Amino acid sequence: MKGKVVSNTKLNDKYYLMEIECEEFVNKAKPGHFMMVKAQQYDYLYDPLLRRPFGVCDIERGRFKILYVLIGKGTNLLSQIKINSTIEFSEPLGNTFKYNGGKKVAMVGGGVGIAPLLFLARYLKNQGTEIDLYYGGKTEDDILMIDEFKKYCSHIIVTTENGKVGQKGIVTEPLQKNILQYDKIYACGPKKMLEATTKIAVENKIPIEVSLDERMACGMGACLGCLIYLKNDNGEIEQKRCCVEGPVFDGSKIVWSNQ
Amino acid sequence: MSKSPLSINLCGIEFKNPIITASGTFGYGIEYSRFIDINKLGGISVKGISLKETSGNKMPRIMETNAGMLNAIGLQNVGVEKFIKEKLPILKKYDTKIIVNFWGKSVEEYVEVAKILDNENVDMLEMNISCPNIKEGGIAFGTDPKMTYTVVYETKKAIKNKPLIVKLSPNVTDIKIFGKMAQEAGADAISAINTLLGMAINIETKKPYISNITGGLSGPAIKPVAIRMVYELFKTVDIPIIGIGGIMNYKDVIEFYLAGAKAVQIGTANFVNPEISLKIIDDLEKYMADKNIENITDFTGKVEI
Repeated sequence: MKGKVVSNTKLNDKYYLMEIECEEFVNKAKPGHFMMVKAQQYDYLYDPLLRRPFGVCDIERGRFKILYVLIGKGTNLLSQIKINSTIEFSEPLGNTFKYNGGKKVAMVGGGVGIAPLLFLARYLKNQGTEIDLYYGGKTEDDILMIDEFKKYCSHIIVTTENGKVGQKGIVTEPLQKNILQYDKIYACGPKKMLEATTKIAVENKIPIEVSLDERMACGMGACLGCLIYLKNDNGEIEQKRCCVEGPVFDGSKIVWSNQ
Repeated sequence: MSKSPLSINLCGIEFKNPIITASGTFGYGIEYSRFIDINKLGGISVKGISLKETSGNKMPRIMETNAGMLNAIGLQNVGVEKFIKEKLPILKKYDTKIIVNFWGKSVEEYVEVAKILDNENVDMLEMNISCPNIKEGGIAFGTDPKMTYTVVYETKKAIKNKPLIVKLSPNVTDIKIFGKMAQEAGADAISAINTLLGMAINIETKKPYISNITGGLSGPAIKPVAIRMVYELFKTVDIPIIGIGGIMNYKDVIEFYLAGAKAVQIGTANFVNPEISLKIIDDLEKYMADKNIENITDFTGKVEI
């Protein structure tokens, strides 16, 4: 698919938010989906080579957003793409977050992992679900799009490790205190955060879905480079592809030591 | 009706075009059917099949490098039995040639898998003696001329129905020797090249980017090496050569033909763009018409030195 870059905004030294116009993509996208994005616009350039996976951050009026962190060649090139230029990406890929009709849910986001939770929050709010957001970052730079989340969330609990914004500490601490209020947990962020969040959810018998981020070559289930290890009901370990069977998994099934 | 300029005959098998998707980059074919019309492909070489289901290497398995990527998947596959039962019937619904890439940990395993596949409804067999990412088998057979001869000879002897392609490793001093060995042992065709052994280190953590430490380098970065090896093989063997290595567009395909290829495989490019093989076919058709070339194989080995 192709779309027009409507905005490509530097949020701070680390993060960018890109908005792309593409009706076809928006019509297919559901919360939890990701897409593979070509970081540069030329067919004759082969470096960077592979497309990059990004979660669908939000959709609105024929446009979708991706949130990205400047890490390497690909994301640096993305940050230089000019408004009104054309960009290539795949159709929405992977599975989606599941909604089981819970009355009150907690969303737990860390760093760039906040991205797919915004789209999910919009969707859940429309279903009449009450949402509390637990949002953790290393520094104040990691705390983004708070005004957007305010539209959908009853409470927003922010933590930073340096304490410059919100409570000083990690996001699982306030979650632990309030956990029994929730029918379901949705989480996306660093693996350590997801593992700790899953532990709290499982101990309190609350269902949890996590969205995982893996290096991917194809995003279509062929390369087998993005495996996730799950424990099935018989206690056997199964290999799943993050790109096809994921990126959203039942957190309680994940073998965290293998990830 | 005149013959299409892209149709080729490879070891007695008629391909509608010479564009084959390379093993390991196209799953069992089925994965891509959601995204592209796989009926248009000349052929599909499926993910390397072994006697038993194999879970592959630990994560992380892939890393992008300059104009290429490293992988150490470790030949993860469903095993020959499940492949025949679950994957092949779906794949057979498509109008494209099926090449089954296979490997073993011993000569006996190669022979066993080949014998099973020889009686199935597939078009060709491609033996992988060149995977750099597993300890036993694979590359051990592809980097010792005597072992190459033995494993190809024993496998060829055991099969009756299907043409046998031998996929060679570039991780040798002189690929000509291995081409010659494969031909003398009875190979019907050669595919070259598999990935080049490589490594990448994260300078922050001081650890290799992939758990296997080393991995196979693929993508446009390796194309000149592949062209050189196809050229050397063409001067050495009489059996057809399938060129593989970093093909991204129709011009790369022509370049492989000039070096000596009779067909080509598209690998890493499928990851970059699932539609790329179809685009290459379209572009080649136009090129053949523009240049008024009767058949693409007219280019085979026509490099002017």
